[in-house]
Amino acid sequence: MDTRRLSVPGTDEGVREALDALAGLVSDHGLSKSVTWPVEVSLDEVLANVVHHALAGRGAAATVELELRLDTRTVPAECELVVSDDGPEFDPLAADAPDTSLAVEDRPVGGLGIALVRRLMDDVAYERRDGRNRLRLRRRLVALEG
Amino acid sequence: MRIDEERAAQALVLAPQGRLDSVTSSELERHVAARLDAGERRLVLDLAAVEYISSAGLRVLLVAAKRLKEPPAALVLCGLGPGVRTVLELAGFVPLFAIEPARAQALARLSG
Repeated sequence: MDTRRLSVPGTDEGVREALDALAGLVSDHGLSKSVTWPVEVSLDEVLANVVHHALAGRGAAATVELELRLDTRTVPAECELVVSDDGPEFDPLAADAPDTSLAVEDRPVGGLGIALVRRLMDDVAYERRDGRNRLRLRRRLVALEG
Repeated sequence: MRIDEERAAQALVLAPQGRLDSVTSSELERHVAARLDAGERRLVLDLAAVEYISSAGLRVLLVAAKRLKEPPAALVLCGLGPGVRTVLELAGFVPLFAIEPARAQALARLSG
């Protein structure tokens, strides 16, 4: 079990740092992008949400706490992410799913992120605890193709 | 983010490299907007070197598609790896775009 904890600023630079850390964790264990990309995409979606909504306007003074955990004792390996912030209470899982059947000109731009996370991860759970938003995501690292 | 460009007779080809995530996508968006503002109307986005795409990247594709909707303007996507294609499928984007396997076919589609 390899667990990496980090604290990043609630900015684009922080998102980049967190995505780099996850890419480093999975590549240190020799895992292929073909099985890790759903987790990497999901981390980007969750962090973009936190940085652009929960922590919006607070800049680098706000931080996001992350736990990136990889369990390679199981086959397939399993990856778990915990993302927490001290922004106002917000459960991203409570948002409505977007309508993906609309024509291109009728599509609202954006709003797809959390719907993607639900499809890409095996398990997503939100809790509000000790004044913090805490999102936990888990996936068994098998290839996913539409 | 590095964005390779190739000027072909039929279209301008843009090939972003690496992740199309919530940080890098705005760079691609600005790049595409600058080319379209300069009068470019036929665009190929070659995604062969894209590691993965998140909804921020999808948004850039959607914005470009909206601006290039009226013929003879055109947008063709190509070089989608399995992960990129899966994200487009999950988002319901596949029917909205002209998609070709590789750059040669994308350009051939625009030469007719």
